[in-house]
Amino acid sequence: METPHTEHLSSADYEHVYEPAEDSFLLLDALEADLEFLDTLQPRLCLEIGSGSGVIITALAKRLANTTHCLATDINPKACEATKRTAIRNGARLDSLRCNLTDALRRRCIDLLLFNPPYVVTSDEELQTQQLTEKPATERNLVFSWAGGTDGRRVTDILLEQLDDILSPSGVLYLLLLHENKPDEIIEQLKRQRFEAVKYMERRIPGEHLYILKVKRVAN
Amino acid sequence: MKLSTYNFLTSMAIKGVKVGYPLKLTINKKDVIESEFNPVFIERLLPKLDWSAVYSAAQVAELADDIPAAQPDNVAEDEQLLQRLHHLLFEIDVLEGQLECPETGRVFPITDGIPNMLLNEDEV
Repeated sequence: METPHTEHLSSADYEHVYEPAEDSFLLLDALEADLEFLDTLQPRLCLEIGSGSGVIITALAKRLANTTHCLATDINPKACEATKRTAIRNGARLDSLRCNLTDALRRRCIDLLLFNPPYVVTSDEELQTQQLTEKPATERNLVFSWAGGTDGRRVTDILLEQLDDILSPSGVLYLLLLHENKPDEIIEQLKRQRFEAVKYMERRIPGEHLYILKVKRVAN
Repeated sequence: MKLSTYNFLTSMAIKGVKVGYPLKLTINKKDVIESEFNPVFIERLLPKLDWSAVYSAAQVAELADDIPAAQPDNVAEDEQLLQRLHHLLFEIDVLEGQLECPETGRVFPITDGIPNMLLNEDEV
């Protein structure tokens, strides 16, 4: 998988949109390492939640061109635009849309779901304050891209609760987590929801221990 | 926004909305971008698609003559229809327009090809 070009995005863009970092590259590396599986899965519909700059979904859309329809959602309008520009710059075909998680999509359709959530542990008050503050929306948008509330899981937990309604019968989720998000606890919780989750890849970088969780339905 | 994407969009997340599908589509400005035709992919995608929304998209895109109102049994063997579906679903790019919730009339604008489906907190 080629790493997408990003030179069309400037520091002015990164004031509003999360700049690809170690976490983004770990998710890309995990997908690259699992390409053989993805080729077997043959996903018809792929969606990245919170696509930000769009590097991940663009790389995948290029690799799966003409065999998978790729979608990207983000709540931040600047991220939706950045994702679209990244796709165009790299000659990838995908649609970018503005919505919360997968709220605008029909149920149980997604064959391949990607999510690098806001995972940084913050106080829930910090998130609340951001919602109420008079700061320009764009500044708030950037905070929403990383601030994860208690255990850094406020948004992740909402998504996981909805997972049964989101994934198609053969659907697979790749989820980025931080050690502080308590991945083992999430794996147990998913087991109770009849999902099988494994730590597919992990990486230690200064200050962060990152994981990619690979989640699919328990076979009947 | 391609019309394949339109087929998967719903306003179900609005409080009180039961089905929220299909959304009422309006196209004000569109583009046609050629892309490689993969008949196998179109065929594989069909079971995921809602044919009535495929047909309504064709009507709005003024391609209703190309697409039958009801899904034929043997689409896979009909290369010409697969080609027409490919054109409708993957080559037409809606740049400006709107989507409307069939139950509440809530309008979701499409600007620069990006539909804004984000709901306000009091709508969910």
